[in-house]
Amino acid sequence: MRVLNKAKIETMLNRLSADNDVYVPMLRGPGTGFFSWKSYDEDYDELVLDRLNVFMPPKQIIISPAEKNNIDLMSGGAGASKKIIFGIRSCDVQGINFQDEFFGEKEIESDSYHGRRDQTIIIANACYYPAPSCFCSSVGIDPLHPVGADIIIRDTGKEGYVWEACTDKGELLTEKTADLLEEKEVTIPIPLPFALQVNFDGVSEKLADMDDHPLWGKYSEACQTCMLCTYTCPSCYCLDLQAAHWRKANYEFSCFDSCAYKNEALSTGGSSSLEEAATRFRNRFLHKLRFYLQNYGKPLCTGCGRCIAICPSGASISKIIAEVQEANL
Amino acid sequence: MPDKDHKCTCSEQPLVPKVVEVIDIIDRTPDVKSFFVRNVDGNGLPFQVDPGQCGMVSMPIGEAMISCTWQEEQEYLEFAIKRVGLLTDELHQIEIGQQIGVRGPYGNGFPVEACKGKDMVFIAGGIGLAPLRSFIKYCFKHREDYGKITILYGSRSQADLCFKEELFDLWPKESNTEVFVTIDNAEPDWNGHVGFVPAYLEELNPSSAGAVAVVCGPPIMIKFVLQSLEKMGYNDDQVITTLEMRMKCGIGKCGRCNIGSEFICLDGPVYYLKQLRDLPPEW
Repeated sequence: MRVLNKAKIETMLNRLSADNDVYVPMLRGPGTGFFSWKSYDEDYDELVLDRLNVFMPPKQIIISPAEKNNIDLMSGGAGASKKIIFGIRSCDVQGINFQDEFFGEKEIESDSYHGRRDQTIIIANACYYPAPSCFCSSVGIDPLHPVGADIIIRDTGKEGYVWEACTDKGELLTEKTADLLEEKEVTIPIPLPFALQVNFDGVSEKLADMDDHPLWGKYSEACQTCMLCTYTCPSCYCLDLQAAHWRKANYEFSCFDSCAYKNEALSTGGSSSLEEAATRFRNRFLHKLRFYLQNYGKPLCTGCGRCIAICPSGASISKIIAEVQEANL
Repeated sequence: MPDKDHKCTCSEQPLVPKVVEVIDIIDRTPDVKSFFVRNVDGNGLPFQVDPGQCGMVSMPIGEAMISCTWQEEQEYLEFAIKRVGLLTDELHQIEIGQQIGVRGPYGNGFPVEACKGKDMVFIAGGIGLAPLRSFIKYCFKHREDYGKITILYGSRSQADLCFKEELFDLWPKESNTEVFVTIDNAEPDWNGHVGFVPAYLEELNPSSAGAVAVVCGPPIMIKFVLQSLEKMGYNDDQVITTLEMRMKCGIGKCGRCNIGSEFICLDGPVYYLKQLRDLPPEW
């Protein structure tokens, strides 16, 4: 099998960066996220390929909302370069699959989503040791075989990364970098079991009759409206569109929004369909567990567990699903 | 969802507005103006609309979804806009000849075909007459297809009555048509009815047999009108309303206007009450 020696990781990233914008998981300042390898500063940044669930999932790379001082959005011009997302995990690949499904469907085919997506190569890092909040296997995701990845790398410890090309795009890239890979037999690790299992069975149907259930009030009461659950969610895609006047030019740009904001749905005149915290809370979970499923046949969740780990109020999706399962209607 | 399609026809990229010229502006009330727009080259429209469909109107300050008036001769687009917020404030300051952005059309529009052969009861309050006006105009254009037409319109004061020419001169002259106008509080030079729309509706009590009621107005008016209609014997499949939700993209992608699995910009804004009853109570 083809193996990438860990000592050659930076050489590989430099090589890939010659033709592409390569996004890698880094610890930068206070947080982790996917940043361009070209911006890597060894005194400040740390490459964290072994980190599960970096703080920000790489959901902004293809749909490219407003970047600092670069408000060029709807044209897709800035976002249409060749990109590689390196070291992405199964759950976050599923997040991109959701974007493909949602932004890539016929409604906006004429928009530049497909153009950007076609120029993106996904090099996924298989997960063998799930975190306590991980539950991707419960939503049908295989952490060892990310569906949608062009290349899968497998960390075998000091032997390096096993490198498997899964698509033509991946194969082509592998050929170009073949001199950095060595051919040898290594032992693939044995995956650990998931600590967290979430049972989605029947949840969507049951939620149909739970509009007035006290559960929404109970959890929303403690919600601090920090929106971390939505911003760090690889599958949350709600957008805000804004107009700006900047340096004598007019721009329209999109940026991520959150359904937890009180004025997210505020209309001129003061009416809002999502005035109550409990309504907003219910709308968020029903969107994930019922509405998306009604439209696309599966829940809008990748099981990454970020929202569980990050919520300061402990309102976790796994607890809520368990309460729905137990609710007597 | 993949089988649903937005109806925007004005641009290759659905989120990019088309620049149009404002060819006329009419003051309807102290805070409502009608803007008439057409393509900047003077030829034709950025898009064609069906009654009840909307367009996204934009200025450099932002965008808003506005109901677009259906025209018999589609030579220009009309948006009747009330001054209520940032964008509408800016819009009210523009002059004839200036350019604004529009994109559309969005939404499903009124079920003009399904209503054929029915008696029509239009109930509107304030600027809520603007979307219904498209349907009313369509009914008069195809007068023989519809039964008796009853129009009930109310506003806060005489000065706030929109589309006065149509209300008092044009529409009452149409055959088999009755127009009722009310204002909330008595005024010295007002000889008409005084009172709120729901109470006046119950007083008039238009028969529910073979009729369809179409309602649009402020949320509080809609709420009580729906109760009155229920009392008067209207079934949920005889009542149509058009919803106002915050919309950002118009193509079902931004997630702003959802009610349940429906996006108001794609599946709405026009709903039978029967459909709304199946949705979560956010409307």
